[in-house]
Amino acid sequence: MTTRELSYAQAIQEAMAIAMEADERVFLMGEDIGVYGGAFQVTGDLVERFGPERVRDTPISELGGAGVAVGAAVTGMRPIFEFQFSDFATLAMEQIVNQAAKMRYMLGGEVSVPVVMRFPAGSGTGAAAQHSQSLEAWFGHVPGLKVIQPATPHDAKGMLLAAIADPDPVMIFEHKLLYKMKGPVPEGHYTVPIGKAEVRRQGSQLTIVATAIMVHKALEAAETLAAEGIDAEVVDLRTIRPMDKDTVIASVKKTSRLLCVYEGVKTLGVGAEVSAMIAESEAFDYLDGPIVRLGGAETPIPYNPELEKAVVPQVPDIVTAARELVSGRR
Amino acid sequence: MAKAQAQAVADSVRGDNRPFALSHFEPAVLEDALRQMYLIRRFEEGAEESYMRGLVHGTMHLSIGQEASAVGICLPLTDADMITSTHRGHGHCIAKGAEVKRMFAEFFGKTTGYCKGRGGSMHIADVSKGNLGANGIVGGGIPIAVGAALSIRMQKRNDVVVSFFGDGANNEGAFHEALNIAAVWKLPVIFVCENNGYGMSTSTARSTAVPNVADRAAAYAMPGVIVDGNDLSAVAEASVAAVERARAGEGPSLIECKTYRHRGHSKSDRNRYRTKEEIEAWIARDPIGRFESQLVEYGIMTRDAVEALRENVEREIADGIEFAKASPMPLTQDVAMYVYTD
Amino acid sequence: MPTEVILPKVDMDMATGRISRWFVEEGAAVKKGDVLFEIETDKAAMEIDAPASGTLANVTGREGVDIPVGEAVAWIYAEGETPAKADAAPIPAVPSVPGPAAPPAPAANGAAPAVSASQIEPVGSEPVAGIRATPLARRLARQRNVDLAALDGTGPKGRVQAKDVERAATVAAEARERAPAVVPAAGHTPARGDVEVRARAVGQATAPITRQSSAASTWLRQGEGTPLVLIHGFGSETASWRPLLTAFDRAMPILSIDLPGHGAAVDLPAGGFDDLVAHVESELAAQNIGVAHLAGHSLGGAAAAAVAAGVAVEARSLLLIAPAGLGPEINTGFTEGFAAAHDETALRTWMRELVADPAVLSDGFVNATLRARADGRLPAAQTRLGPLLFSQATQRFSVRGLFERLAMPVKVIAGGADRIIPSRHVQGLPGHVGVHLFAGLGHMPQLEAREAVARLLAEIVR
Repeated sequence: MTTRELSYAQAIQEAMAIAMEADERVFLMGEDIGVYGGAFQVTGDLVERFGPERVRDTPISELGGAGVAVGAAVTGMRPIFEFQFSDFATLAMEQIVNQAAKMRYMLGGEVSVPVVMRFPAGSGTGAAAQHSQSLEAWFGHVPGLKVIQPATPHDAKGMLLAAIADPDPVMIFEHKLLYKMKGPVPEGHYTVPIGKAEVRRQGSQLTIVATAIMVHKALEAAETLAAEGIDAEVVDLRTIRPMDKDTVIASVKKTSRLLCVYEGVKTLGVGAEVSAMIAESEAFDYLDGPIVRLGGAETPIPYNPELEKAVVPQVPDIVTAARELVSGRR
Repeated sequence: MAKAQAQAVADSVRGDNRPFALSHFEPAVLEDALRQMYLIRRFEEGAEESYMRGLVHGTMHLSIGQEASAVGICLPLTDADMITSTHRGHGHCIAKGAEVKRMFAEFFGKTTGYCKGRGGSMHIADVSKGNLGANGIVGGGIPIAVGAALSIRMQKRNDVVVSFFGDGANNEGAFHEALNIAAVWKLPVIFVCENNGYGMSTSTARSTAVPNVADRAAAYAMPGVIVDGNDLSAVAEASVAAVERARAGEGPSLIECKTYRHRGHSKSDRNRYRTKEEIEAWIARDPIGRFESQLVEYGIMTRDAVEALRENVEREIADGIEFAKASPMPLTQDVAMYVYTD
Repeated sequence: MPTEVILPKVDMDMATGRISRWFVEEGAAVKKGDVLFEIETDKAAMEIDAPASGTLANVTGREGVDIPVGEAVAWIYAEGETPAKADAAPIPAVPSVPGPAAPPAPAANGAAPAVSASQIEPVGSEPVAGIRATPLARRLARQRNVDLAALDGTGPKGRVQAKDVERAATVAAEARERAPAVVPAAGHTPARGDVEVRARAVGQATAPITRQSSAASTWLRQGEGTPLVLIHGFGSETASWRPLLTAFDRAMPILSIDLPGHGAAVDLPAGGFDDLVAHVESELAAQNIGVAHLAGHSLGGAAAAAVAAGVAVEARSLLLIAPAGLGPEINTGFTEGFAAAHDETALRTWMRELVADPAVLSDGFVNATLRARADGRLPAAQTRLGPLLFSQATQRFSVRGLFERLAMPVKVIAGGADRIIPSRHVQGLPGHVGVHLFAGLGHMPQLEAREAVARLLAEIVR
């Protein structure tokens, strides 16, 4: 299988095209995804290839649109619903949390809800407080949903194809700053399993568990740390629910130290869950220092670019925290 | 259906002045409609009694008094047509063909219930009969019905979807968003508002800016029809027209059935917001008695046949309760079953 | 046929209800839909209508008592029907102690401090060493017999880290090589005991241990369904439950737990009441029990209540027999005397205090108790433990404040002639707690009225 360099957005578009080519039940819904090509040009020219029935512009109706996607999924279709910004999921929480997530359970297993919802997420674009949030932890709290955060173009394509094939509702959070990031992507159909973390860098002294764009910041920090003689392991969590506990536990048992790095607000966030999971696990007795979290500040995302950077973890923050943890100063 | 239409044409040629349903549907269909109305009434009374005896957990919302709406709307539907239902959905479930024994079993939380004890009254549905579920969220099922209609369109089928909801839902955003999308995409949906006058305790006069929920249809460029929801024939007539329009690809309709629930909102309702006089006036317009009289008056059923039908329903209810009582409880270790597809 | 009038469920979580008043008298004519009576719930008063027209008769539902949902409270006879002779006995109320919760009675001598109703007071546990160490350092210290207290940690605020333990272990190993006969340092022995206890707990948690008795837990009965867990009182042990179980014929699994310092757990140390509760919770965890019916006697009753109020296990019901922890006083003459007793005269003397009628103490029962205590290990352990729980005529812990939040069915059984713990301690519990007071019995109703106690047990574990 040939591998090329594609951007994260192109990788997602390719996954959707492959799925639509292979299965006529798959179709796209969302605001301005047709001739406009999507707010981030992820759907691009797909409307020309598949027509407006299958690349379906919706009114600006997040609740209605999400509910229509759920209804179509329950009745034999495989909709992929794009939110223009993940922040707008707040308008559709009812359909996601009360309907999509619970329908199979409430009806005693008589239906399944194979819907995929895509959420452009995260800060760094100067879009301020209502277009920059990282709300994935909210969805991770809901049994019945699966929640993924691919960090590379390769994973974005493979995990989206896995999500489309999945019989249950899958929420995919795509960090907006990753859309233009390029990376090797194999041609054709392949999947990356949901619920499986990936060790991006092997290390012996510290485990950094990171999500989405923080995976890249953690890898950059690990290089700096290596120059200082600190050997960090970087685990890309990839899936928030169901979380791959085994990979994280095995890593912490090996390194004895855990640093969680995530962009969502620190309190009650993804890192809080990883920390608590480790504290409850057999890895507890291997910890040789406190568990440390680096997460988003307890503020809305500000507009000013310097302020905007200040409220989410940056590479130097990760380096400092890791250094203190490994040297026993924390 | 073809046969029924032919019959209707023949009747109109003869100058038939019988109520619509009586000339439009075969006698066997009409008898079955009456049977379903009894079944709904007695099912809910049986459920209420079981609740009071502590056999039913949680609460329930009874539709006693609204049977003509559920049965009349479902008359022109086939098993391939779908519905979405509401928290007051026992009638819809039965009208769409569910068995009362498995409904009782669900109320009793048993594994033989439609939802295997995971859903209860508020999520009851026989999915195999095209019922996509009762819903605990007011207005929650309306966008889902539109999605099901989109599936029908994309799968090039000729089926329709009925979305039942109450007057309370007409002030939810989901209602407006869903009606708009269905109209823009001309989808085969029939929106059915069962207006029983009150969203819990708040009357439509106090909650809704327009006098009739059907008036909302104008905003979404679809027909809005008001019918006497306690008159089975009037309900069926509106449903037949809307279903035909949907099957012909002409888009959605909104039907408002003006009706009344004899009981409170739920089992913990003290009924402080309605007068005894109002309740009694509506009980006097009970839909079951009205339809029963019509069938006898126009010679479709004899009094004896009606009596036999009632006895059959009594037996079915009693057997249903026994079935539910005797059914096994789910195992607690299986509590996580059906959260995800295995 | 007359129409039954039942006490209906009118609220989601309602198991019993109270008729606050009848609007229609016995023998009066009623019309369907007339208001018959009013039910009081936590939230509101609900009026209940007549389900039929006719004559109201055989009214058995009394005002002001708790009546189970679905129970017939009256009948309506249609015209032409003759009411049956009104021989129906009034429905017995669901037992409860009416009135607001009263504060515990002050101690007779006034010396005992008022016990706070809302907390379990951990008294007598050894002071926590205050060692700062990472989990890895602690584990390594256990494995390599390093005394953490003797180490200076190099982490922040002196926290001991793995490297500190490793350094100390290396130094100690070198020292041993130089002087192999050195006696272990002080503090070493308790650390080793700790290791053994933990090792056993871990082993049980990971092994497939359904229905396998362990050192401190004995399956007295196998069966299907939610298990019943029994916790004995101070100075007692698993064997004490056998007489009650002869009268209890349910085919459910029954587990008895020996408390630290008792029975098979004689060698387990405990620093106070909290340790007993933790012991019960860890035994349940080791047996993979997440849901259970709990029953306890005296000290074990208090422990059962604390376990039921916690989150470690979901208690489906709670039966407490002469429970401790509900009030300040206790007969410490008995607890001290019995704890020390290991010959027949002493033992018989103190055991007579337990019951109203000494005749129920069979020779076999006394002799079995004597044999168990003869080697002095139980007396020694209980003499150590006793003062940490009870001293100066005072119970040093309270579970009274927990009752308000116990959501499962709870029954408390007491003997009116209890000479160990005054039976008045069972007064003033919240209204949802059923209290059964046997006027003529002592501290062991399960021995003296085993049929009655077994019946109450059968009712609550249903």
